[in-house]
Amino acid sequence: MFIRLLKESFIRNPRRKLLTCIALVLGMAVATSTFTVAVDVSDQLAREFRSFGANLMVTPQGDTLPVEIGGVDYRPITEGAYLSVSELPKLKSIFWRHNILGFTPFLDVPVSMAASASQAAANGFPAVLIGTWYKHSLALEDGTNFYTGAFSTSPWWKVRGQWFAEDSSQCVIGTSLAEKYGINVGDELDVSAQGAGAGKTLTVSGIVSTGESQDEAVLCSLSVAQELSGKTGQFRTLFVSALTKPEDAFSRRDPNTMTPTEFDRWYCTPYISSISHQIQEVFPGTQVQPIRRIADTEGRVLSHVGLLLWIVTIAALIAAGLAVAATSATTAMERRSEVGLMKALGATNFLVGGLFLSEQLFLAVVGGGVGFALGAGLARELGETVFGVSTSPRLLVLPIILAAAALIVVIGSWIPLYRAAHVSPAPILRGE
Amino acid sequence: MFKRLLWHLLSGNRVRLTVALLALTSGGAVVSALLNLEVDINRRLAQEFRSLGANLVISAPSATGSSAASSGLIDASVMQTVKQVESFGVIASPYLYLVARAGRTPARDVVVAGAWLDRVTQLSPWWKISGNSSFSRTDLTHCLIGRNVSRNLQVISGGTLTVRYGGHTANLGVTGIIDAGGPEDNQVFANLAVVQTLAADRGKVQLIQLSVPGSPDDIRAVQAKLQSAIPNLSVKPVPQVTEAEGTLLHRIRFLIVSTGLLILVLTTLCILATMAALAMERRKDVGLMKALGGSMQKVLRIFLAEVGIMAFTGGILGYALGMVLSIWMGHRVFGTRIAPRWEVLPATVILMLLVAFAGALPLRLLGNIRPAAILRGE
Repeated sequence: MFIRLLKESFIRNPRRKLLTCIALVLGMAVATSTFTVAVDVSDQLAREFRSFGANLMVTPQGDTLPVEIGGVDYRPITEGAYLSVSELPKLKSIFWRHNILGFTPFLDVPVSMAASASQAAANGFPAVLIGTWYKHSLALEDGTNFYTGAFSTSPWWKVRGQWFAEDSSQCVIGTSLAEKYGINVGDELDVSAQGAGAGKTLTVSGIVSTGESQDEAVLCSLSVAQELSGKTGQFRTLFVSALTKPEDAFSRRDPNTMTPTEFDRWYCTPYISSISHQIQEVFPGTQVQPIRRIADTEGRVLSHVGLLLWIVTIAALIAAGLAVAATSATTAMERRSEVGLMKALGATNFLVGGLFLSEQLFLAVVGGGVGFALGAGLARELGETVFGVSTSPRLLVLPIILAAAALIVVIGSWIPLYRAAHVSPAPILRGE
Repeated sequence: MFKRLLWHLLSGNRVRLTVALLALTSGGAVVSALLNLEVDINRRLAQEFRSLGANLVISAPSATGSSAASSGLIDASVMQTVKQVESFGVIASPYLYLVARAGRTPARDVVVAGAWLDRVTQLSPWWKISGNSSFSRTDLTHCLIGRNVSRNLQVISGGTLTVRYGGHTANLGVTGIIDAGGPEDNQVFANLAVVQTLAADRGKVQLIQLSVPGSPDDIRAVQAKLQSAIPNLSVKPVPQVTEAEGTLLHRIRFLIVSTGLLILVLTTLCILATMAALAMERRKDVGLMKALGGSMQKVLRIFLAEVGIMAFTGGILGYALGMVLSIWMGHRVFGTRIAPRWEVLPATVILMLLVAFAGALPLRLLGNIRPAAILRGE
């Protein structure tokens, strides 16, 4: 009887059910998509921030003072300490290895250069040769290859022509230097390190512009710079680009003062301080420090934008909830005469309430389910347009959405149903 | 007559109208809060990005084919031109770098940067300076040193650093240690005049760094203005900062705008449902009105006036609530007061009117009513 009544109600008057259902679908779609995007957005924004480049710098401990202006080290090669390239694969073995998005070693060698094709540069001039990786394939300990280099730690470097090929005698020349001496793509440069052995001839494969001192230097493959300087397998500085969680009061504490549980929590959270600590563990004898200019800005903007989006999401959820509740209240109000009739025929308040509630709950499940699917699709679309990465639907959200839908329709139809149930049937049946 | 009918309608159906008003107000509140923030958010976020430091650099153009003799120095008088844009909130400082010998025996090579110390600290807000951090541009006897310099040369705050370059020597009192987490940790910062004296080259600087507040468009505007004032120098944005900042700002904005649009659609739908129900309920009223000789136009006008009043009220209430919401959000997120903007009020009211009239489409159903059928009680 109960089920038949329920079925009849849906068949007889599909329009009213449709309205509530559409409102539910849309409301829940909005809720799902904003919620999914809000959950993913911090991760995506953190990734986006990596286009500002490296946020960690690794230098040898006990190094002499670098003579560095605008990112180029002018120290002679005989001075200071070096790090070994063979240690680098260890970086991808730390606890947060998947958060290490890239790293680039640098070896700056003061050289003298001469270009036969250019009159101005025929007699030689001093310059700095920067040995680095652009897109280097590094064999890791687990047998896989990891592509890393300046393309990920300095993504704003632009080259006209081609980047140097790894381990080849090609180089790219900084735009200011190229203009100053009239050097073009395809020219050959005779390079010899100051105070070191034999020189080498490099072919210019491109002209690079970085907006910093590299514009007045020459960049080549790390192995070429090592060969020229006689520092085989060594480099001076390592720049690391890591995905991090914004700093908070907890992460700013000194790890030495933490209890073991707190230390584990700190160690297992990708704070920039814990990642530095882990790099230092696999790289003894180094000094790992956050590049604060990047790291500080990133932390602050990320936490502010994250908070902003959460507030917007919650506001959207409340607006969606109100709209859906209003719609279901409207449709419930129309049912007064039906309630009156049922009561006149002897139905108890309990039965009437149960009937209406199960009707609404059925709608909530259907509407919530369809809304979830629609919202997941919407979030995917939004993620793709905004970040170029599709956000995966989170099944965890489905029960939350269904529960929210149920709660909203019950609240929305509660007052009208309550009033209808307490009305005496006679005036309603008379049509008043 | 019209007024009386309208009043009657508005007062006779309170629950239903409350429901519609609630939907309009909540939609209006969120939308107006977002609109209010939307105007401010770009500026606020761009302000956050200013902690990345300089975003424009003025330097000498690389002279084609000339000898290295000029070595890319520019005349310090350019700062007079740069001062003109300071009214936009631009912070600027000239820089002159030297590799000098510093410290006791054995003296070491160290990078000495000459700049305006009062501006440098503003240009590099990520520095942590221990010791005195208020500086004057005219102080010729003091300097700031990076923490690696302090460690390597064993000079602490309050000590004296002797810097030699060419035949010139400067004895500088160290007023503070910079902890920058970057290349500045390896440098000594002194006032421009000190370094110019060391270089025996008064009136020359290497480059000028500027921090322009505002969106990437504002930065381009200042760049164009400066470039036309000093055509013989190169004025370039710092690509590391400006490129990534532009994309990030664009994405955050897009997210907020799309959320606002979704909420508008939702509000429309809710009004649609309420109006459909209302139209059904009013069938009898309409039938009676028509039977008494009211034209369809007149009848619709009454209902539309009702919708309009609701939308208007909802818009104003929503605006008031939205302003409270956005002030709270601004305070919570950016820690600053976000002023309510009056231009958001008409925008919200107009949006709510549009939404309500779109939602009132079901009222067209009333046109199909035949009075006879209604009066017969069908």
